Amino acid sequence: MAQPRAAVWAAEDDMDEDLQDMSLGNYGQYDDTFFQQPQIDEATLMAMQQHIAQQAAFAQIPDVVKGFIVHFHQAVLENNLPEITVAYESGWNKYTEKFYARTEWPEAEIIAPLVNDDPIFLILYRELYYRHVYSRLQPNIDDRFHSYENSCELFNYLLNSEGPVQLELPEQWLWDIIDEFIYQFQVFCTWRSKVKSKTDDELSMLADGGPVWSSYSVLNVLYSLIQKSKINEYINAHQAGKTPEEIAEIVGEYGSRPLYRHLGYFSIVGLLRVHVLLGDFTLALKVMENVELNQKSPYTRVTACTVATYYYVGFCYIMLRRYTDAIRTFVSILNWIMRMRQYHTRSYQYDQISKTADRMYALFAICNALSPSRLDDNIANISKERYGEQFAKMARGQEDAIPAFKELFLYACPKFINANAPPYEDPAALNALLAPASPDPSSPDLESGGADPAHRHLGLLLADVVAQTPVPTLRSFLKLYTSLGARKLAGFLDADEEEMVQQLMVMKQASRSVTHVPGGRGLLDGQTASTSDLNFVIDENMVHIAESTMGRRYAGWFIKNTERTQKLYDDLKSQPLPPAPKAGAGAGAGALGVPADAKAARTGPPKVAWGGVKVA
Amino acid sequence: MASSWVSPPTRTELIEDLVSGVDRYNPSNVGILEDYLYHQIRSQEYDCLANLAILKLYQFNPDLYNPDVVINILIKALTASPLPDFNLCISLLDERPINANLDEPDPLPTLLPTLKHLNDLLYRCRFPAFWEIYQSDELENLRDNYTVECVGFEDAVREVAIRAVTAAFTRISADRLASYLDLSGSELAAYVEKKGWKMEANVVGIPPNPDNQIEATVVQENIKLAQLTKVIAHGANM
Repeated sequence: MAQPRAAVWAAEDDMDEDLQDMSLGNYGQYDDTFFQQPQIDEATLMAMQQHIAQQAAFAQIPDVVKGFIVHFHQAVLENNLPEITVAYESGWNKYTEKFYARTEWPEAEIIAPLVNDDPIFLILYRELYYRHVYSRLQPNIDDRFHSYENSCELFNYLLNSEGPVQLELPEQWLWDIIDEFIYQFQVFCTWRSKVKSKTDDELSMLADGGPVWSSYSVLNVLYSLIQKSKINEYINAHQAGKTPEEIAEIVGEYGSRPLYRHLGYFSIVGLLRVHVLLGDFTLALKVMENVELNQKSPYTRVTACTVATYYYVGFCYIMLRRYTDAIRTFVSILNWIMRMRQYHTRSYQYDQISKTADRMYALFAICNALSPSRLDDNIANISKERYGEQFAKMARGQEDAIPAFKELFLYACPKFINANAPPYEDPAALNALLAPASPDPSSPDLESGGADPAHRHLGLLLADVVAQTPVPTLRSFLKLYTSLGARKLAGFLDADEEEMVQQLMVMKQASRSVTHVPGGRGLLDGQTASTSDLNFVIDENMVHIAESTMGRRYAGWFIKNTERTQKLYDDLKSQPLPPAPKAGAGAGAGALGVPADAKAARTGPPKVAWGGVKVA
Repeated sequence: MASSWVSPPTRTELIEDLVSGVDRYNPSNVGILEDYLYHQIRSQEYDCLANLAILKLYQFNPDLYNPDVVINILIKALTASPLPDFNLCISLLDERPINANLDEPDPLPTLLPTLKHLNDLLYRCRFPAFWEIYQSDELENLRDNYTVECVGFEDAVREVAIRAVTAAFTRISADRLASYLDLSGSELAAYVEKKGWKMEANVVGIPPNPDNQIEATVVQENIKLAQLTKVIAHGANM
């Protein structure tokens, strides 16, 4: 992985000198002309001062960075994907660490001369520029507005040029563009909803903000990309096994280009996320209805996209009370992350992915407490290792279960947003909002409690949790009997008999859930299934209990070890023979019938790019 | 979410286009969906996704907001318990500043806690408590202005209880069933008969169904051919 990077930047030193000369020359020249002008009006003076300031800023850019930008631009001009990938994934990060860890990159206007004022490259450059501001620094209101404008320019260029644009970008970057667009939308909404801390300038800009970062404008971009790329038609044609020619016919001139196809797919995942952020869990799953969730999908190459997809789908299932489906979703992605981990620990995205994984372990613990299952002991054990204390409280279902659910939910839930801004355009309404409206001083603060959408969703989950609190205790008693009088059971529980019967109905209800069935159409579809190993029925006043048990499982162990032995055997066979009889060695290896290169192909590292630099 | 929940057979093509297409975001379609809601209320039909589409339009266009529509949607969603429909609706009700443009005071803020409480009682199968509260004087406003318009509301609540009883019981005493359904004497007998259930000596028998048949089983593992492909393929290469 390090090799291609070294090859590209080996010429660094030579390039530096060239650039240094160029910039020095420019600088001197301009200075002369300025001071020879005899009479200057104020506007010209301002323009000149600005120009000088820009020149000064330009001169301050380290030469390696100038060289990098020139190279980057060249790679983009040539649609040279491997070079773009190197610049995007390592060059940019390398120089960020070195020169811009705590400041902005040079503004696009400053570096424009390096790239011949190429408007497209400058848009892409700004995309990176603002992303850096958001991730490393504190964006101010201008950054927030301008990053929105820049995103609009980018999407305008992609969607409203004459015909499909010829640009090509690496899949990872395309995903990051969509991902960042939604991220910036989300942080803008969160920031916007906090009225108290705004300055007068900010208030007036927000009042005139218009469509900046409005939900409609964000959805519009995502839907436009989906429609333009015909990605849903592409997926359906692909699943129907159509030939590449037929597919090209179906998806048209936009959809045939990888850039649009990838953006279309990532926009579906983006929509999933936006709908979840806005609290629309059914619509979120509905937009995914054509996408098959499995790890054979070509899009698993962009790891961050796959992880996000499963996280949001799993979360939707929780809010639909489909805990079994949520568990299945989390288990499959967490296992996948674990398998991938060995290849990616040094990647720049690894932190983000392991954070999301950690949140999914927390959500898994929530689901497992509400609907105990034995789907995957391995994941369950890791989840218990990390959240053992909370899990124990949640699973017992006593009073301290509620704080544990709350803690894990608020830690692991998406960053929900309100669809609409506070009434910035209406000062009276805004003041009413700011005024200490609630006469009760103990009521939660607006900024932290009531208006926060995460708490609204939390409240819904907690109501379900409270409804289910008697279940673990009931379960522990029922497990001891095959039949038991309702009155006797109520006596054990020190509860009213009728109340206990109602709790039994809740328990029955909680042990049934709509579950996705293989071959079902879309993620919303499903059938009711039993989710518990403990079943019971009430015959007037008698409770009858039946428990299903799992026979011990041997097959997995034997299959795994057979495969391991076979591999060991193959490896041994393909070892070169002892060197002693020199002439016989080559023939001997050939006679064993395992071609060395075939072997290498099988054991080579899986092809995944999550930050790993891939150069053909 | 059986497929009839995802797309009810009573949904027309026009509504299907609105629910599944981009046109669902067009504020000028809100009237069509609201009419469809009132149609559901009159005809004992139910289409959760179409109603969520109304709430989505309200979420994005606060000036469309009509509290009566929201309350009716929530009332319809109540009777879908134990499906999460009611919660899904609440999830879409963003906090909104007090709307000064309405002609009358907004009835939702006062009714919302009541509706949430009723939903909670149904989800917790506390049917006798539900009836008691539903018929209390405090809820007169809800009954007289809203649920009375919703044809078959009380029967729909009874169906929630019936679903819970059907799953949990093989036989249930008539008194208990009566308290769950808020029916007594001849009403109960008629209801039980209409369901095709049998009542003998004050005990109602619930017909066998997948949820009230219990059996202790031992799940044995099944090895699928796919699990063995690697092992077999290797054998073939030997």
